Amino acid sequence: MSSLTRKDLLSKDFLSIFRRSFKTSTWLGWKIESNWTDPFLFAVYSIIKPLSGAAIIVVMYSVIAQGNYDTPYFAFLYFGNAFFQYVGSVMTGVSWAIVDDREHYKTLKYMYVAPIQMPTYLLGRGMARILVGTLSVFITILGGILFLNVPFHFSEVNWLLFAVTFVLGIIALINMGLILAGVTLMLARHSDFVGDAVASSMFLFTGAIFPITSLPVVLQPIGYALPTTYWLELIRRALIGNVVDAFPTFAGFSNLQLLGILTAFALVLSIVSNRIFKACEHRAREQGLIDRVTNY
Amino acid sequence: MEAENAVFTENLGRIYKIRGAKKNESKQLIALEGVNLSIRKGELFGLLGPNGAGKTTLIKILTTLLAPTSGKANVAGFDVYKEADEIRHHINMVSGGETSGYGLLTVKENLWMFSQFYGIDSKIANQRIKRLLEIVELSDRTNTKCAELSTGLRQKMNIIRGFLTDPEVLFLDEPTLGLDVGASRDVRKFIRTWIEEQPQRTVLLTTHYMVEADELCNRVAIINKGKVLACDTPTALKHTLRKDAIFNIEVNSEAPFSVDSLRKIAGVIRADKTEEDGFSRLEIVLKHESVLSSVIDEFHTLNLRIQNLQKREATLEDVFVALVGARMEEVEHAEFAED
Amino acid sequence: MQTMIGRASPRLIGLYREKSWLIFDVFFPMLTVIGYVMIYKAIGAPEDYVGFVVVGGAMTAFWMNILWSMSSQLYWEKETGNLPLYIASPAPMMGILLGMALGGMVGTFIRATGVILIGSLLFNVTYTIQNGFLLGIIFILSMISLYGLGMMTASLFLLFGREAWHLANLAQEPVFLVSGFYFPLKFLPFWVSAAASIIPLTLGLDGMRQLVFASGATLGFLDPKLEAIILAVLSVFFIVGAKLLLDHTEKLAIREGRITENRR
Repeated sequence: MSSLTRKDLLSKDFLSIFRRSFKTSTWLGWKIESNWTDPFLFAVYSIIKPLSGAAIIVVMYSVIAQGNYDTPYFAFLYFGNAFFQYVGSVMTGVSWAIVDDREHYKTLKYMYVAPIQMPTYLLGRGMARILVGTLSVFITILGGILFLNVPFHFSEVNWLLFAVTFVLGIIALINMGLILAGVTLMLARHSDFVGDAVASSMFLFTGAIFPITSLPVVLQPIGYALPTTYWLELIRRALIGNVVDAFPTFAGFSNLQLLGILTAFALVLSIVSNRIFKACEHRAREQGLIDRVTNY
Repeated sequence: MEAENAVFTENLGRIYKIRGAKKNESKQLIALEGVNLSIRKGELFGLLGPNGAGKTTLIKILTTLLAPTSGKANVAGFDVYKEADEIRHHINMVSGGETSGYGLLTVKENLWMFSQFYGIDSKIANQRIKRLLEIVELSDRTNTKCAELSTGLRQKMNIIRGFLTDPEVLFLDEPTLGLDVGASRDVRKFIRTWIEEQPQRTVLLTTHYMVEADELCNRVAIINKGKVLACDTPTALKHTLRKDAIFNIEVNSEAPFSVDSLRKIAGVIRADKTEEDGFSRLEIVLKHESVLSSVIDEFHTLNLRIQNLQKREATLEDVFVALVGARMEEVEHAEFAED
Repeated sequence: MQTMIGRASPRLIGLYREKSWLIFDVFFPMLTVIGYVMIYKAIGAPEDYVGFVVVGGAMTAFWMNILWSMSSQLYWEKETGNLPLYIASPAPMMGILLGMALGGMVGTFIRATGVILIGSLLFNVTYTIQNGFLLGIIFILSMISLYGLGMMTASLFLLFGREAWHLANLAQEPVFLVSGFYFPLKFLPFWVSAAASIIPLTLGLDGMRQLVFASGATLGFLDPKLEAIILAVLSVFFIVGAKLLLDHTEKLAIREGRITENRR
């Protein structure tokens, strides 16, 4: 087959391959995540974990503040922690299928042999977790507003800013998840911990639970290099704008400037992530890691 | 030339680097070396060799899962290294002896899902699934969760997954490994039927069962320690031993004896003994039938009484022994001992 | 005993060969500890709370070890096809499980010590040990009952099948919450704390905190001596329970044959 027809074929097929990769893998991901128990238990299971995480922080706070939740820091902490859940659910959502298919179902090689787009497949497999993550973020926030009087005023929310920020952040996270998937593919061992490990280190550096200016000066650049730092700042500005004034980390930046930075991150990550994933895939093929089972 | 070939390899090699127990210590394992194969469209090609011969490595390279370290390989006209994405539209593979699949999906769901990844229309896919399940006698398990299937049934499902997408080139890595005799026979029969249905279909099958290669394949390559030692039709391969006379002899003896003295007789190529209940079975390969009388003379010296003597045709096993100098089982045991 | 050593050795060898585990097992949990410490610092909590988090963070290592290396272990062994070998072997199941845990325990101990050392140095935690003997008793009893619980749940998880992974996953954050890993147990409603006491680390952690921090005694849930007695009762309860359940599982595996099959 000449290179011209090959190119034609590929561009024509790109969309249809994208569609079928995404649709079918989303179906599979949903089945895997939800099918092990009945829907009610699944829902409880899906939200009890994040709610407990939030509750730990609430109890810690209340022990010291003696139940006074109406402070800027509590709002900062509560919203930061709630939205940070996305970091875990999107990034591990997108990369987990590598571990799951390779180690548990032994199907990764068959997926690789199939004419699908691997990144799209991975995104589809992660959709279930992203949706469940959304549900738990929503419930966490709702619980905070209803039961803990987290300062939140519906009428003061900048919905447009929130929507744009939200989408950009999710795009950035999906692409970070894809990079993580690439790394996972190259690791034969420990691969199941990588997602958690990355998420827990980002928790510290991204200003989720305390302003990054509280970090030692040498560590602060890590925070500035993460898209999630700008994402969380903008989410807070959109949802609880007045609170952010108490934490002047980004006081010198307008919303638009921060959006610009976040857009740049999303764009660069979208381009880079695919290349990195391809490079990792290449290495995995060279080393024969695609179907390696560790039985760890 | 290459266009007529479904699979074409040239000097294909693969070396694994293995990290040793100590730091910075690394060993090299040559899994494949200088493999030249051309498999024509429409062929059912067998790769016969003991465990660890490099069969699976070759399949992995051809199915784009593993990169070769030297040489080149083409599948369906595309380079396995540079044009992996294109190849994937034309192939499928099945590995035997494993329990892959999503346990919480039903048999039908598992199969349907894979058909969707290949862009097959749902209606057509469901028809094919129904037909294939009937052929391998799995219809009654259509809606059973895959986790509830036995290993053998799960493997049958896996085999169907390979055929379901109607690939141009199908790679079957030990497809009958772990299946019982009846199921193996059904699968072999089905492979044969499938390839005869359409002239463009090609199958590359690996096996360490001699009978499977002999019965099923148009051509067979014998592979050992990463090298292809011979490649031809089963008949032609066996024909290379046409001058040899092969005898199966059952003997009785009062005391234990050794076959070393038989091996020393001029014209004896091979003499092997296996102990059975109450007698010994000898397999003796002679350069010419006339040597038999010297062998029988030696039996008298050894005090052996002949119970049964049979001349038989050469098998692929004999071809393997002639090429490698040991039986396939012995090679596998030696490998195991090395590990 | 031989069984234990036999099963522990591959893990220890693995530990020696894989040095990267240090990064995963000490560094990353340390980050979580630092995160929680920063929250306390941000709200101006008394210094001892930093110590509470460090000790709590260190003890999570044992809980994770129990969950992932022991409770789910039989289930994983089944998944990888090794379970029939263990059931068929004359070695008692408890020995095999203890071996697995023992191998993992060395790593866990190093991880916990690492977290305590690094955390204490990083945040200048001051310890005032009041009753070393009782402290030792509480720690040892916590460990005995904890590993007893681990063995008991191992057979339960096996019976639950695929849900095991989810159960183990579910038993992380909620347990960190109700067992007071990051704050004094006293601040939870009494009945929550009392119910959570079924998990040995709850009282173990509370007791140890009371004995090593100056303000610990005032923030304790129950008298440490009483906690030690309850832990002793839990130890007996879990070990006997584990023995009964494991025997039951072994019998079930042999009789029905289904447990040993890979069901993914």
